[in-house]
Amino acid sequence: MMAMALMVLTGCYSNNCPLENTVTCNFGCYDAEGNAISYGDTITITTLMPGYKTVYTYRKLGNMTVTKDEQDTALINQGYTETTSQQRKDTILINQKYGASNIKVPMSYFNEEDTLIFSYKMISLKDTIKIRHSSFPHVELPECGAHRFHTLLGVTATDAAFDHVEIGNPNVNYDGAINIKIYFNGVVETE
Amino acid sequence: MRHSYKHIITAVCFIASTWVSMAQEQQPQPLMPGEKPKPTKYVAVEEEKQHLVFFQGFTLSGDVYGPVAYMVSDYGTMEGALRLNLKNTYFPIVEVGYGKCSKEDFNTKIKYKVNAPYARVGIDFNMLKDKFQSNRLYLGARYGFSAFKYDISVPSMTDPIWGGSGSFSMTDNKCTSHWLEAVFGVEVRIFKNFHMGWSVRYKRELTSTKNEFAKPNCIPGYGYTTNTTCWGATYNLIFDLNWGMKKSHKRGINIEIRDIPQQTDDKATEKEDSQKENENGTEATGNDETDSSDNGADNEDGDTDDGDEEGTEE
Repeated sequence: MMAMALMVLTGCYSNNCPLENTVTCNFGCYDAEGNAISYGDTITITTLMPGYKTVYTYRKLGNMTVTKDEQDTALINQGYTETTSQQRKDTILINQKYGASNIKVPMSYFNEEDTLIFSYKMISLKDTIKIRHSSFPHVELPECGAHRFHTLLGVTATDAAFDHVEIGNPNVNYDGAINIKIYFNGVVETE
Repeated sequence: MRHSYKHIITAVCFIASTWVSMAQEQQPQPLMPGEKPKPTKYVAVEEEKQHLVFFQGFTLSGDVYGPVAYMVSDYGTMEGALRLNLKNTYFPIVEVGYGKCSKEDFNTKIKYKVNAPYARVGIDFNMLKDKFQSNRLYLGARYGFSAFKYDISVPSMTDPIWGGSGSFSMTDNKCTSHWLEAVFGVEVRIFKNFHMGWSVRYKRELTSTKNEFAKPNCIPGYGYTTNTTCWGATYNLIFDLNWGMKKSHKRGINIEIRDIPQQTDDKATEKEDSQKENENGTEATGNDETDSSDNGADNEDGDTDDGDEEGTEE
């Protein structure tokens, strides 16, 4: 009996930390009529970062224009003219995702608005989504660490490839629900 | 590491209580040379039952495991209980305590702190067949409740993409928790009205107030909420309080039922001998007769004395 009691008390240790513990804003892809689709183009999502960067542009008559983040003296020696400009810093969140039915994108911890730029392979135009949100820390258990949850307050978008966007579930956590629905132009043909 | 300390202490308490219970087992005293065993009575079982009055008194107990647990780990309790003894079988109980938890996770550096009272109500059932004896083996159930405030602080969080960092701390988060417990325990009489015993408890959290920022990591009286269920233990010092009871109702007289040994036959032969001697007209035999009757009375008195002693001890 004593052995049994010891076995029970020193049994396996487990915890309730969530297996899926990455907090992302989930985008669902739909056609204009609301049918779930896998988008048939390659999508790259870039986000604007706080602060600015210097962009170096090199031009030469009869040659392609070259844009670089750092100065290139070799091009100047080849006769290129250099112009500089200040641009918002950016970073790629999703790189060339093809046939997306849903897209998971992280959100900023301390900004009130995130700007996402959707680039396509078949369309030269880009779409921009602006998401207003509030953020707050969440601790499930001390051993699981702290996460940052978000509440969506509003979303706006351009209409290059989008028909419209809407908020599906305003609570951004690690539950995996669709938070923003993107309705693309066009309707899936069904026979 | 601190969790393992808890388990070691529980094991030590377990071994100690087992040792105490073994020590309580009284061996029958061997007869001296020439001494004859005392006669015993046949007593009907129904007669024994009549001695089990409904109200057997109160029991006051204190837990020593909780404070020791707090000394060697992050969580501990101070707990006392008042229990009713009904027919030495049913024990309605109220447990009241104060729980403390102060921990910092080694990896995440998240700090959690709570100090609050708690209460449990429930009932224990004495599983031993012989309800007269002072030792008890019981199963029971509890409903636990605690309303408390907890503090939590998170070290600096850094945004890996957009940059920036910030820390977070919250104090006085209000929370109310409810839980159920299944109890298995043992207690043994150490001295007169003083008992010692241990119990193990399987606990299941029913509900807790939801907070979008942080779940309570530790509930006073319940323990850690790492899982939806948890184990707990107590090691109790128990005092039987016989308030408001008649002396005769304190406990039934425990009379062992044994076969009457050869002694009755010996007595019969002794009586026959004395009668024969009486017939012979010797004075000494008359004295023997009175002696034997006195002895019989002494024996009877002895039985009742034992009973009284047991009664007063309880």
